[in-house]
Amino acid sequence: MILTPEILTLTLLNLLFALFGIVALLLSVQIVLGWDVHATTQKQYMLEKKSFLGAVIIKYVFWLKLPLFLFFIFTIDKLSNVITGAMCAAGVVDATPYGTYLFIVKILNLYLFGLWLVLHYLDVKQETPRYIKTKYTLFLAIFPLLACEIVLELLMFGAIDVSKMVSCCGTLYSSNTGSYISGIFLVATPLLLGLFYGNYFLLACFYFLKNRVLYTLASALFTVVALVSLIAFFGTYIYELPTHHCPFCFLQKDYYYVGYLLYTLLFLGTFYGLIAGLLEAKSETNLKKSLFFITLYVVAVSLYPAVYYLRNGVWL
Amino acid sequence: MIELKNVTKTYEVRKGESVHAIENVNLAIGEGELVVLKGASGSGKSTVLSLVAALSKPTSGEVLVDGKQISKLSDDFASLYRRENIGFIFQRYNLLPNLSVEENILLPLIPSNPDSKEIGVRLEEVMERFHIAHKRHQKAKNLSGGEQQRVAIARANINMPKIILADEPTANLDANLSRHFIEMLGELKSANTTIIVATHDPLFFGLSFVDREIEIHKGTILV
Repeated sequence: MILTPEILTLTLLNLLFALFGIVALLLSVQIVLGWDVHATTQKQYMLEKKSFLGAVIIKYVFWLKLPLFLFFIFTIDKLSNVITGAMCAAGVVDATPYGTYLFIVKILNLYLFGLWLVLHYLDVKQETPRYIKTKYTLFLAIFPLLACEIVLELLMFGAIDVSKMVSCCGTLYSSNTGSYISGIFLVATPLLLGLFYGNYFLLACFYFLKNRVLYTLASALFTVVALVSLIAFFGTYIYELPTHHCPFCFLQKDYYYVGYLLYTLLFLGTFYGLIAGLLEAKSETNLKKSLFFITLYVVAVSLYPAVYYLRNGVWL
Repeated sequence: MIELKNVTKTYEVRKGESVHAIENVNLAIGEGELVVLKGASGSGKSTVLSLVAALSKPTSGEVLVDGKQISKLSDDFASLYRRENIGFIFQRYNLLPNLSVEENILLPLIPSNPDSKEIGVRLEEVMERFHIAHKRHQKAKNLSGGEQQRVAIARANINMPKIILADEPTANLDANLSRHFIEMLGELKSANTTIIVATHDPLFFGLSFVDREIEIHKGTILV
């Protein structure tokens, strides 16, 4: 295990999250089993105190986990400097068998942590909390994934071998690898762009029609379409290289860290879209936020090919 | 208006060792009533006040104010309830010594940020009513005990609360000042404010404008 200051920070925080997560898990089990909002018994008052404690623990763990995702990306991106063959975070993710799974779990958790935080926010804004059982049941469902994320992260950092040669992103995200990633590059560009802008148009329509369920479905689809089009098409204009499809390189200084902005906008847009469909409360505001962030994302990624064309008079 | 139903409050003093401050208390206080809770130190009077003020939660039982279960409120809503409904008068006045009389009286209004004109009118009204207007610019630390208690009562009234809770309000006053304070409570009662006074001061007993005297002994109400 290499112990850079960043890895040490993440590892120590993970151990703290695991400890507090277990405390919150024990409290959640008691609350889910015994909660009766109308009861005025000793047990219920005790559960109310425990609920306050549990909510504080979970809130701070999840609030910290959200920005730590960006810090995690920064850490693995920085690690690429010491791993032979790695040019960016892609090489580090591929350096161990755990990297890809960890990434998938982390992204899924981002949405779940956000969902729990929104639910908690709605709950504390009401005089009579309505979502206590729901939010603690949700935590019981999230906890295994949180634990899984922590274990995978520890395993990944533990398994990194700096003396072992790894593939760089140019190899990993090439159309010749024969992997599931290479299938993305087989999609014709007009079809991909049609899907991307068509999906955005659908989102705008559903927003104006105030159909939050269809909006949520369209935003879930947009998450996939946006990522695929970013890797297969828009990314090449960020790099100004038609063969470079790495989803990590634009997180680096050479590209003004634009990846952090793009991924944050995409996450916020699709997250609020998801929330709007799942929770009726404040759904109009969430739809507005979702469309706002997705529009910013669409404008931001569209600017790259547009500027490239204006400057050079050709497409890549 | 104020109801306590089967309320028990237990404090854990050490692991496995607890003290029942009040036990199975049932109490109903109507709107505009002035009630004196009397009893020795440690009998549970202040616990009743803190439960009515939603400063603490019962171990079991219900505390209702205007039909609302205040014992179930979260911290944020309990603060809001106190801000809108409760005025406190404490034994040690609890004034901020380096603030002036005016500033001390205005303190409870800070969170609600009302219109400045409205504030001015209300401030004048309470200072006149409790005879402290002439000391308006003086710092609280330079006032006598009686004056400090008048500032405290003015502060408790600046929000025009429905309920005033006074915890041993005359414990630091001499007999004359205590009588004067009691007169002011009488004036408040005539304005239809519900008042609960927790005290063991005999000056409060047998007063004509006191609606009820309730004796608490070792956490239970004596009938």
